[in-house]
Amino acid sequence: MDPTNNPALVPDATVAVERVSKWFGQKVAVSDVTCSFGPGMTGLLGPNGAGKTTLLRLIVGLLTPSEGATRILGDNARAAPEVYRHVGVVPEEDAVYTGMTARQYVEYAARLNGLEDVPGAASKAIDLVELSGDADRSIGGFSKGMRQRTKVAAGMVHEPRILILDEPLNGTDPVQRARLIAIFRRLGDAGHTVIVSSHVLQEVERMTDRVIAMVDGKLAAAGDISAIRRAMTDIPYRVRIDTDDARHLAASLTTEGLIDGVQVADKLLHVETGDLTLLGRRLPSLSRELGVRVTGFRPEDESLESVFRYLVRR
Amino acid sequence: MFARALFVATLRQMLSIGRLVRFGLLALAPAAIYILSRPGSARERFDSFLGIGLGTFYVVAVPVITLIVAATALGDERRDGTLSFILLRPISRFRIAGAKIAAASLAAFVLTGFGALGLSLAFGVTAADTRFVVPMLVGTAIATVLYAAIFVPLGYLADRSTLIGLAFVFIWENGIAGALPALGVTSPWRLGYSAFVGLSPAEVLPRFDSFALANLQPGAGGALLRAAVIAAISVTVTAWMLRSRDTTA
Repeated sequence: MDPTNNPALVPDATVAVERVSKWFGQKVAVSDVTCSFGPGMTGLLGPNGAGKTTLLRLIVGLLTPSEGATRILGDNARAAPEVYRHVGVVPEEDAVYTGMTARQYVEYAARLNGLEDVPGAASKAIDLVELSGDADRSIGGFSKGMRQRTKVAAGMVHEPRILILDEPLNGTDPVQRARLIAIFRRLGDAGHTVIVSSHVLQEVERMTDRVIAMVDGKLAAAGDISAIRRAMTDIPYRVRIDTDDARHLAASLTTEGLIDGVQVADKLLHVETGDLTLLGRRLPSLSRELGVRVTGFRPEDESLESVFRYLVRR
Repeated sequence: MFARALFVATLRQMLSIGRLVRFGLLALAPAAIYILSRPGSARERFDSFLGIGLGTFYVVAVPVITLIVAATALGDERRDGTLSFILLRPISRFRIAGAKIAAASLAAFVLTGFGALGLSLAFGVTAADTRFVVPMLVGTAIATVLYAAIFVPLGYLADRSTLIGLAFVFIWENGIAGALPALGVTSPWRLGYSAFVGLSPAEVLPRFDSFALANLQPGAGGALLRAAVIAAISVTVTAWMLRSRDTTA
């Protein structure tokens, strides 16, 4: 694969996807995707159902491609499990051993990776995701965000060269999200290959410049995120805001000209905006000024999907 | 080290307190039935032990307990989505399969072992004859290894593994293989039973049930060898399935 003219390819690839397709019966989940990932951070972006999780499962060897091949450090992971020494995976599913404590879970991951200092490595990973205070509690009683951080700790406990994270910020609150993003960025800056999938463009935008975008199982766009963003300026974003005073907040957002349209529900706003970054920056200070509590801020799939469909048509 | 960690974790999952209590009681049911049958004479005691005691133990308790325990070894991991947690580690599929089957065998043996001890000791106390304790434990161990070798991959493959397993035990083993003695070798509990009979005192051999033995010769050596071969085949097949099948959750 020649990376010189193809933005989906990188010259120093550690993870390679070569003309990969995957279908389940009649359903095509991934269609003829070629891309590669190297040191640094790459966002795998696309609406729900775009094929991101399937592509990541193909890369790590949980699925066999119907056509094409995937390689990690030159090996097919499915055939050579030794490669997993260098790979950490944080799956999207909320699948954890609920009978274990967070520490036991991370230590189990460390043992299965053959680490010498299991308690030390587990403590380090738990500290990294700031879960030390709850590490000896059962995962069964954890919130989704805490489970997510536990999975991240288990995925990073062996300090892998390649870290693959499928929607790792799901369920985390804004503070945890910012911390996790900082961790991922640090790893990327340190030369690890970090692949993060997300259906939220703004999340990916905060993490990395390089993006692989998928829609309907196909590669929709690849390369610098700003170029992709520029192509999307004529499409308004739909954002869901959870708040304890929807009407008050809606009035202020409209007055400040931050939004182009709004639907108000009980404790929920669905707004349309042309400048999501500005809205995201202003919202925390505005909510403080108004004395309004904002508990969620999430671009909605629908609008993203339309953006990606636009990219495909392009 | 990897396989040991997997083995220990699987054993812990399978031997929760709740399971120990539930399955321990179920395994002890044949002993309770034997005691409740209140055998009077020495002959009645022996007939009751061989008949209702061993019958309910080998034909019902051992297969049912091992089925439920072993089918969860990989089946629960697949259904709960935790299988990828194991598969995405630098461990060969062969070792994963081996650790899972070994853990399921040991867990099932621990649970059914209560029953083997209970029944043989109940007979031992009432008949002042403890010569059946070791044969019971050996026969039980062989049967549980054989069942685990079948039910661990079955649990991984099929969503309705319990139903299929019960059909195997009650239709195939107790129905078809019971009617056709040549198929006795396909019945794990009969292989365990043949080891038990082979290790039992020689003077009681003529009194054992021919239906239970089918065409098998009493003896622990043959049963052990068969258990080892079937366990090795099971590990190989399970490893192949883990490597070739997609993991979708």
